[in-house]
Amino acid sequence: MINRRITILGPEGTNLYILVQFFLLNFISWFTLFTSSENIEFKTSDVLSRQIIFSIIGLAVFFITTYLSIETIYKFINPLLVVSLLLLVGLRFTTPILGVRRWFDLSNFGIPFFFQPSEFIKIAIVLFLAKSISEKQSILISLTVSLTVLSFIFIQPDLGTAILIGSTIFLMFFVSRINIRSASLILILLIIIFFIFLEIGLLGQYQINRITDFFSGQDFSQQQSRLSIASGGIFGNYFSQNFNYDVFVPVQTTDFIFSLFAKNFGFAGSMILLFLWFLFFLRVSLIIKSSDLEFEKYILSGFIILLSIQIIINLLTVLGLIPLTGMAFPLLSLGGSSILSTSIIFGLINRVFIENNVVL
Amino acid sequence: MFSFNRLVLVLLGVFCVLIFIFYEIFSLQTTEISELTETLEEQNLEIFYIPAPRGEIYDNTNNVIASTNLESYLFINNKKISNENINTYKQLVTYNFPQLTEEEVQKIFNQKELMSKVISLENVNFEIRKNLLSYEAFEVIDLPVRNYPYESLTAHIVGYIGKPTNEEINLNEKVRGNNLIGKTGLEKSYENELSGTPGQLIFDNNEIVKYIPPQKGIDIYTSIDIQLQEVVKESLVQGIELANKNFISPNPVERGASIVLNIETGQINAMVSLPDFNPNLFVSGISEFDYKVLNRKQAFNNFAIQGLYPPGSVFKVVAYWLASSESIYPEDMTNRSDHINCEGNLSFGFDDGSKQIYNDWKLVGHGKVNLTSAITQSCNVYFWDIALTIWRNFGNEEGESILQEYARELGFGKKTNIDLPFESTGIVPDRNLFEYWRINQPERVRPEGWLGGDLMNLIIGQGAITTTPIQVANAYRTLLTGENLAPHLNKNTKLEINNVVNVSDEFVLTLLKDLNTVTSSGGTAFKAFSILGKTADDTGGKTGTAQNPGDRNNTSWFVGIDSISNPKYIIVTVIDEGGSGSAIAAPVTRRIIQSLRGLELTSVEFGEVTE
Repeated sequence: MINRRITILGPEGTNLYILVQFFLLNFISWFTLFTSSENIEFKTSDVLSRQIIFSIIGLAVFFITTYLSIETIYKFINPLLVVSLLLLVGLRFTTPILGVRRWFDLSNFGIPFFFQPSEFIKIAIVLFLAKSISEKQSILISLTVSLTVLSFIFIQPDLGTAILIGSTIFLMFFVSRINIRSASLILILLIIIFFIFLEIGLLGQYQINRITDFFSGQDFSQQQSRLSIASGGIFGNYFSQNFNYDVFVPVQTTDFIFSLFAKNFGFAGSMILLFLWFLFFLRVSLIIKSSDLEFEKYILSGFIILLSIQIIINLLTVLGLIPLTGMAFPLLSLGGSSILSTSIIFGLINRVFIENNVVL
Repeated sequence: MFSFNRLVLVLLGVFCVLIFIFYEIFSLQTTEISELTETLEEQNLEIFYIPAPRGEIYDNTNNVIASTNLESYLFINNKKISNENINTYKQLVTYNFPQLTEEEVQKIFNQKELMSKVISLENVNFEIRKNLLSYEAFEVIDLPVRNYPYESLTAHIVGYIGKPTNEEINLNEKVRGNNLIGKTGLEKSYENELSGTPGQLIFDNNEIVKYIPPQKGIDIYTSIDIQLQEVVKESLVQGIELANKNFISPNPVERGASIVLNIETGQINAMVSLPDFNPNLFVSGISEFDYKVLNRKQAFNNFAIQGLYPPGSVFKVVAYWLASSESIYPEDMTNRSDHINCEGNLSFGFDDGSKQIYNDWKLVGHGKVNLTSAITQSCNVYFWDIALTIWRNFGNEEGESILQEYARELGFGKKTNIDLPFESTGIVPDRNLFEYWRINQPERVRPEGWLGGDLMNLIIGQGAITTTPIQVANAYRTLLTGENLAPHLNKNTKLEINNVVNVSDEFVLTLLKDLNTVTSSGGTAFKAFSILGKTADDTGGKTGTAQNPGDRNNTSWFVGIDSISNPKYIIVTVIDEGGSGSAIAAPVTRRIIQSLRGLELTSVEFGEVTE
């Protein structure tokens, strides 16, 4: 194992590219929220202050994760999975918030924050699969664990995250040179399970509504969000102010934040944001190519698959091309759990870069 | 085996979807502005707000002291009511809800809001609900209803809620949407936390296009102990009855307050103010008559933090602290054990020519008195002597307000910053204040201004000084801990330190020992505490009987400490016009201490009449 000297920026050789990328994306989020705030007060109820606090905690989490060697992480995969799963099970005993059991309300402990365990099971399942696939463990066991996790997310209910994790699981198997027949079998299995859930009513009224609403035309939020994106034009309203109407999008700072971003920074801004992410995926793929360890390859590909699908689902929702899902845009949407989990992912990726001696 | 080629395949797929998304965004953002403007101009968005459930308030063992229940209400969507169908709907309402008068039905249909509330559906069976909902203008919405299960017991702690005033309604969208705001108590001080985010029904051109559910507010966990609160209230009620029975007074005794303050944490474990009210009356709107009756009784005042009383002898600890730390004793004395001979009065001449005789409450005198026994027997003459020393040493110079400075260090004359609204400030008088009054409020002072007699009044807690019960409790806590903290009820707030005072461990031990003599044999509160037997040797306190102007009877004060060996709580009891501290407030406090120490409760019995 490589022993690293500890410097201010983490263990010697912290990857500058990832650090800058992390800062840049956080800053974009602050700036976007800033454009929607009328008067800024430093309180935990103010959206911008909240996001800045979460970003700072996220940065700390990023560095702490970076300090953990891949060997240490490897040892903690199973406990991590068990704890995340227990938290998911624990959600069943909470009182529903907004009709779903998706959050732990930590305000009872004096912290004004809703904790969302499904943000962390994403990481646990990617690590678990990276380990089990790279060690060629039985597919049956991996599938059983994956399906257990999926079912607990289904019954929250949280269709968006279930689809996200389901497709990540499938694609992680897919990149493992598994034969196409088995891959198709897994895919078909996942789809069948989805319809079984739909059939026996485990999806709950809330999701059925969302699905049926969609078929009967777009949701109001999605219509408004399209109008909001359209009003951005090429260069956005924030700099050019060519459009004087304010488009009302309900609860715009969380899942629908991209519509706010696109309104303020236009097509040019959207290009830059998505280009940043694409560059990031490309950069990580290069390390995947050069790394010698199967385990690291699976971790990295698992995370870029996860993040890219999350971004795609969010954008398709905001554009009204798929039903409402309730999926955050990583590092852009307001929300502590999402920032923290993305920070962990960035920290883990950073660690793999370090162990492969990639400095810049 | 990892296949990089397959990963490339996946990324290519991602890339294709992103290109598609780019195209979609691009085509949206290059739409003609005129077309977009047209779409937006056709929109006619209106929002109906649905109040959010308020966060709940708990005591320290998780009993709910303010809860929120959801009740289903029938609403009429006024956008769906037209001249053609209005009569049908009126008939439906009158037929299904005969309890509504014609006038009320008229009122429902005359509202200009988007939706009008008809009636609670709590006791309406499912079939009728289903039938009603088959008409398109009817909607069922769950509305939160506040409930205070302990009713008047926690009235002054939780406070009450009401419709926002015109000023309050402009504060923010939350207030407008909830249309309810905390008016007093914790409901007011934690309004931001307790109030949730209102839900929205969004109308576009008369159609409901979106429902955003309301979000509940944050729960508050308090340090109140509801069982203790009950004991405190009972004891105070008994004390008030006792005062009415034993003293002949032009006014009936009705008002009082009692506080249990945790010494270690600065948290309030019980706080009672009488008379009280049932805060549930405000939930559905209090009647004008009820409001006026309660208001005349001053039931809405939380006397524990708002009542202003001269503190009388409970204020003597300030001079006690000053004497110990500055070594200022009656003239010709150099330490705390030197005696004066108290003959029941003090006669002296001032430099300014005035000469006066001051009579102690005990006309025969207390005999030989030192600092300890001056506290034990509450001897005024001893403290007047200290005032004379201050007056003669400092004269009309800088430093003459040394007593007032010590008082302010302990928090007198300032708000304690407790987390409840409308706290009173109180007054610590000095030369500057008298000068200010002489010019601005000449009726309050003599034309001569600040005199030696005013200082002598002040040192025994009489004259122009006023304090609140919470100030007194917090001052004793400050003396015992060296830290003036803002007392609080919310267990999860950060501790706010007002200031730090310099008290040595030795001083604290001596003070506790001297406070113990008050409840022991020979002390002013001995009679009230004697029922505790041996336990009384481990309790402490200070009595206070403050004179009031006019024909108002004396204010009865007692500050108690539950244990001398292991002090945990300070208990302050005040009964307005209660006559005597040692006779009424002391036995009330004794009963509270019985509860705090887990002893059998005995009823409040008349103590000894002293000051």
